[in-house]
Amino acid sequence: MSTVDTEPPARKSGRLSLRVRLRRDRSLLLMTVPAVALLLVFNYVPLFGLLTAFQDYNPLVGVWNSEWVGFDQFEYLFNDSLFWGSLGNTLYLSFVQLVLFFPIPIALALLLNSVLSERLRNLIQSIAYLPHFFSWVLAITIFQQMFGGAGLLNQFLRSNDISTWDIMTNPDTFVLLVTSQAIWKEAGWSIIVFLAALAAINTDLYESSAVDGAGRWRRLWHITLPGMAGVIMLMLVLRLGNALTVGFEQFLIQREAVGHEAADVLDTFAFYYGIATNNYSYGAAAGLFKSVISLLLIWGANKLAHAFGEDGLYRK
Amino acid sequence: MGIELNRRRFLSTTASVVGLTAMGGLLSACGGGAQQATGANSDALKSALPSYVPSNAIKADIAAVAGGPDVMTDPGFLTYPSNRIATVSGIPGKGGRYTTVTPLWGTIPPADNSFYQAMNKALGVTLDMKPADGNNYATIVPTMTAAKKLPDWIQLPAWWSSNFSLGELAGTQLADLTPYLSGDNIKKYPNLAALPTGAWQSGAWGDKLYGIPSFSTGFSIAGTTFFRRDVLDAKGITADQVKSADDLMNLGKELTDAKGGVWAFDDVWTYMFPAWNVPLKWKVDNGKLVHKYEMEELLDALDWHYKLATSGYLHPDAIAGDNTNAGVRFYSGKTLIGGGGGGAWNLSDHQSGTAANPNYRRGAFNFFTADGKGDAVIEMGASTRILSYLNINLKPEQIEELLAVANYLAAPFGSAEYTLINFGVEGVHHTMVNGVPTATEEGKKNVQATTYPFLAAPSAVISNPGGDVVTKDYTAWQAANVKYLRKPVFWNMNISLPRSMATADAAQAVEDAIKDCYHGKKPVSEVKDAITTWKSSGGDKLIQWMDENVLQKYGTGQ
Repeated sequence: MSTVDTEPPARKSGRLSLRVRLRRDRSLLLMTVPAVALLLVFNYVPLFGLLTAFQDYNPLVGVWNSEWVGFDQFEYLFNDSLFWGSLGNTLYLSFVQLVLFFPIPIALALLLNSVLSERLRNLIQSIAYLPHFFSWVLAITIFQQMFGGAGLLNQFLRSNDISTWDIMTNPDTFVLLVTSQAIWKEAGWSIIVFLAALAAINTDLYESSAVDGAGRWRRLWHITLPGMAGVIMLMLVLRLGNALTVGFEQFLIQREAVGHEAADVLDTFAFYYGIATNNYSYGAAAGLFKSVISLLLIWGANKLAHAFGEDGLYRK
Repeated sequence: MGIELNRRRFLSTTASVVGLTAMGGLLSACGGGAQQATGANSDALKSALPSYVPSNAIKADIAAVAGGPDVMTDPGFLTYPSNRIATVSGIPGKGGRYTTVTPLWGTIPPADNSFYQAMNKALGVTLDMKPADGNNYATIVPTMTAAKKLPDWIQLPAWWSSNFSLGELAGTQLADLTPYLSGDNIKKYPNLAALPTGAWQSGAWGDKLYGIPSFSTGFSIAGTTFFRRDVLDAKGITADQVKSADDLMNLGKELTDAKGGVWAFDDVWTYMFPAWNVPLKWKVDNGKLVHKYEMEELLDALDWHYKLATSGYLHPDAIAGDNTNAGVRFYSGKTLIGGGGGGAWNLSDHQSGTAANPNYRRGAFNFFTADGKGDAVIEMGASTRILSYLNINLKPEQIEELLAVANYLAAPFGSAEYTLINFGVEGVHHTMVNGVPTATEEGKKNVQATTYPFLAAPSAVISNPGGDVVTKDYTAWQAANVKYLRKPVFWNMNISLPRSMATADAAQAVEDAIKDCYHGKKPVSEVKDAITTWKSSGGDKLIQWMDENVLQKYGTGQ
């Protein structure tokens, strides 16, 4: 692993001609071919399907022969109160997750980094990673078994004549429920990237600052956090760019539990009101709208990162 | 496992797989601007429909009971018929070679296996069987139709008619079978002639026949309200004590013991709402077409279900929308009353239930009206939703050859042909154990119950070897309730809706609001609001379109 202050090789190679660089990097380039092919086939080629957002798409006659309707689908979309409801839910959920979820893996990584026993650290890490490998179906079933109306907690309350607590089916607190589910399932996994950033910080810095008499908090503030800032900023940019992607299965599964008004996000909207009712073009329009806004968000966030002097998605 | 896969049992399986309920929905949206409405009772179709010649080849232990027109219970078999009567003489095929595609919810058997070889030999044709993953079927087929590359013979389940734009495929990519099957022409294929007329109607588009039906039935209902008969019997409660919605609610109160982890109800809406005289979708009132969303009765039904959800008698997991575990809750006695498709009443249910509790016994309430007055009216769904089609590019002699093969595949339950199709060759794929064909290892590997039967199959029967109580209970319940079944408006009619109507027909927003209501999240007034929005954003247009293009032109189809 390189240290943070290493000059990247890309800078130096700027002076070499393209041919020389191609020859020099040919093995590396070859190694990226499968990934690029994957990206092309599964991410770029399907972009072609966006055409259907401007059509009244009929799968039977295909994209070329479907009727062109211009911006009609978008007109319907923008007049659909359910669409605005889903967009509102998405933004609200995203905001709450940003505030409540985003700092947790960073804190966890710092905490874990301060554990000296490697064995203990590995154990904690493994336990924290585990829920990431559960599917949402399983994760939500576990929540339902624990906190559902007939779950462990409520049956305990009931048997002690205490009034029950509606956690799983209350639309008003749904945002907190899904955020806590996301934290339980993904926070452990998300610490990996921050741990890597921590490992990249030069330990000499800690030693010299300790010699200079800096305490634990000073070291955290002046060495650890600046060392992690680039990665934190990168994750934040990605998070903002994905602000309209708050998950799909998690909401699909719990949609009945809290009702569609609380649970519909843009992705489930496109599914239920587009794909599920064979209204593909409508779903495509909702999807395209989401992509365009996401692109703007990621562009804006990246600009912001550069303005703060951080790398963002790429070095300026 | 059950000895045979009847139509409704299959539907209950697929319903859980694809998340679709086998409702008797009659409308299918179709693509494109082609606005053909195709009615099943036009005079031209009446003359095209095949003659019905019931088969007496094999006698059932419990005979079918006739109800009103086109209504009949399924016959029951307590044992597997021991004398293997052959219903087809000679070999039906003439050596042709054809490709077939059917959906399969299970492990795809190896190509050209010993079972396929035995079948090809018996059929006299080479059927290149290509079962495709049922879960992805709705997306696999459109790629074939878009490229105009359908196989020679394909299964297109009716619940996906709109995904497949079936109304447009009929006559453009799918062969018209009318010249071969209409009227007495079908007598050339006696096993096909024994399929009920309604089943052929459900495969008709315009005034022509296209679909070859499998698993058809004269007792086609979406489902009913079941209860744990063993538990209720022990409490001295019998099914006929429940005569109204109030009775049912009171029973719920009596049975619920939340502290003990027992709630009387699981979801019942889907199969209960007809008790309020709400039609499946359409009703004709004084010659005017009415959608169920326009009916006060629907709101009354919802009101009762809203009360049920907020009463504390409905299991919290049901309120949380967890339908997948409804069976487990029922088996373990955590719920005692719940809605379900008729297919739930079968041997594997009995086995799962008795594994959880040796006394387990499923029962169903007789149909009643919500206010307890008068007779219930239960509207039937389509006679079958499993239909196969032949490719339009086949030559007439090829179509005749495949129809002869279909005739073989439609041989009645227990016949020599049926045994081969469903259990393979005796001694190789199955052996007889206590009079029941039981799969060998070779049979388990290669004989899938839904490969050939998805091309053609006889009418449904009720048979649960080793679970006689199931067969007896189910046939008795059918016999007691057959009198309530009626043909609904537009029964068995395939209707191609213009694309612009399809969204209004699916009415996702209203259905979402209804679900929220019967789960106690939204009062009835909010459903009313959703319906008002629906009406103004396409619902009224849909009703008008259906009235003008279907009701006025083709009548009710009843």
